[in-house]
Amino acid sequence: MERLLSHKNQINSQMARYGVKFGIYKNGEFLERLFPFDPVPRKISAEEYKKLETGLIQRVNALNLFLADIYGEKMILRDGVIPEEFIYRSPGYLSACENFMPPKRIFSHISGIDLVLGNNGEWYILEDNLRIPSGASYPLIARSLCRKCSPETFRQNNVIDNRDYGILLKETMDNVNRGGINVIYTPGRFNAAYFEHSFLAEKSGSVLAESNDIYVENNIAYYKGNKGPVRVGAIYRRISDEYLDPLTFKGESLIGIPGIMTAFRAGNVALINAPGNGVADDKGIYYFVPRMIRYYLGEEPVLSNAPTYLPYYEEDMKYTLDRFDDLVIKDVAEAGGYGVVFGKDLKGDRKKEFIEKIKAEPRRFISQEIIDFQDLPIVDGDSMVERKADLRAFVLAGETTKVWPSGLTRFSRNPDSFVVNSSQGGGFKDTWIMSR
Amino acid sequence: MDYVSLTKTNRLFWLGRYNERVLSITRYMMYWYDRMIDNSAIDHVDYCNRVGIPCEYSDPGSFMQIYLFDKENSYSLRHAAEEMLGNGMVLRETISSKTLAYLQMAVNALELANNDSAPGVELQWVVDDVMAFRGSFDDFIEEELIRNIIKTGISIERLSLYLRLEYNLESMPKEMKKMMNRLRKSGLETNAMSLGVIDMYRGDQSENVSREELLRAVESLVVV
Repeated sequence: MERLLSHKNQINSQMARYGVKFGIYKNGEFLERLFPFDPVPRKISAEEYKKLETGLIQRVNALNLFLADIYGEKMILRDGVIPEEFIYRSPGYLSACENFMPPKRIFSHISGIDLVLGNNGEWYILEDNLRIPSGASYPLIARSLCRKCSPETFRQNNVIDNRDYGILLKETMDNVNRGGINVIYTPGRFNAAYFEHSFLAEKSGSVLAESNDIYVENNIAYYKGNKGPVRVGAIYRRISDEYLDPLTFKGESLIGIPGIMTAFRAGNVALINAPGNGVADDKGIYYFVPRMIRYYLGEEPVLSNAPTYLPYYEEDMKYTLDRFDDLVIKDVAEAGGYGVVFGKDLKGDRKKEFIEKIKAEPRRFISQEIIDFQDLPIVDGDSMVERKADLRAFVLAGETTKVWPSGLTRFSRNPDSFVVNSSQGGGFKDTWIMSR
Repeated sequence: MDYVSLTKTNRLFWLGRYNERVLSITRYMMYWYDRMIDNSAIDHVDYCNRVGIPCEYSDPGSFMQIYLFDKENSYSLRHAAEEMLGNGMVLRETISSKTLAYLQMAVNALELANNDSAPGVELQWVVDDVMAFRGSFDDFIEEELIRNIIKTGISIERLSLYLRLEYNLESMPKEMKKMMNRLRKSGLETNAMSLGVIDMYRGDQSENVSREELLRAVESLVVV
């Protein structure tokens, strides 16, 4: 490990060489920043990983069953396990996806599950990301660069190789491909995750396409090649549902593919992830995931949610208001670290206003206990400091559901902050899964 | 097999053009840095007129500084380098991360040169990185057509700069031949009138083609 740390400058210069960046919009201006990398990895033992892997697969399988049910027979609603309101009032629910089953009944092909490790040694799920979870490319490239800078470190540690993500992604796309090429569809160069889009296209051997590169004719999607149209069988789309098809969703979208939803519904192209997944990763629905696991799989959840309350329920509203200062309150419609408020940070009128908002729109908020999660060591100049960190695990649902033996560990650079998102100034670490 | 859309074709072509622009301007300015040591200065007004950019610089020294390094100046070398990198970034899966890294390194070297008391040293790295990029894409990209789109862009830009600056004109026939050879293998659409002018220049009527006419023909030869 010391060897790896001694190569910190070389690693950072390699990062600069490969332009490992993320984009951010600040005051209406697009800025690209190098994603700060900390060379001290998060280590997860083989035993710990086994439990994580089992729990993550269980969770994603249940979520896929839930999505198939919600856009199909809706048994979980009929059986009263989840109130209907949490489905039909969710902004992620899309009526355009009703009564249609994607290829092989898979909705969430690539899931990014955010976890934290509590000081009690337990992992807690913080959030499910089933739409377009970003981040796999960073530990992927970081590992290659670290291996180059410090081969001894990897000779001496039994770290599972994570560099097969491109192959896993290709397998996942091939599994549902309806005949034709695999495409990664990006909103373009000025998207925050553009580095990732282009990097994953390269690693998975997919064609990177954007607006105007793909068109739909007779319910079949084609890539506009310079030697003529090329049929597209699977699209890993990296744009939000609402911009995906201007003929079905937002008519003003200039970055979508007109008619792609009809081609999808005709079974001629796979969309990865399927549209409509937002109904299952809504922060409100998160509360119900353990129930889904019991309902669909008849199993007890292997991994726990962070203790969560829904002000929608009277009892939970009371608890939230009584213990407001001890809780973190999240707006279910927000993502990327936005819409997260620590009760203790609000005072006076701002607190009153916020409480009124919760009372007026209880469905819009959840409250959670602040998990005392473990700090991780971070190199800060010549010394080491401790910072809050989470883990985004990537679960790929193909022929079988697999967890990528790695993940994106994000940390807060601010000593007083729990928010680790890159858009909020956080950095990242490699995640080592030990083989023994 | 790599699939090339019309958008991608356009980017490959402009990647080549910006790549050559960065290389040629860097070399040209390195020459002037050396001349400045002996109290010779670039005629920056003439230079701006020739390359067709506004001349808003008070003296040769500020011209060199701003024209080379000011990212906000859309006519600067730095801006051209950013455009080169931008076109490369959207072609990552075609040219590979390894090849793209040379473009990133050229931009990084230019940034370092800006803060260096001897910018010529870092500018040499810009040249080296651009040349390494060329070796890398030639080696990495399997599709001849793709390689030739980039190379056509390189040739067009080089010819354009030679003609504008009336520089290296003795190499024009050789460069024109290289460009036409690459163009034929690129599958790029051409403008028939421009092609006619170039054929006249390459045939036995070269004296009937003015430098301005030839420049216009070169600039409008490829339809992208």
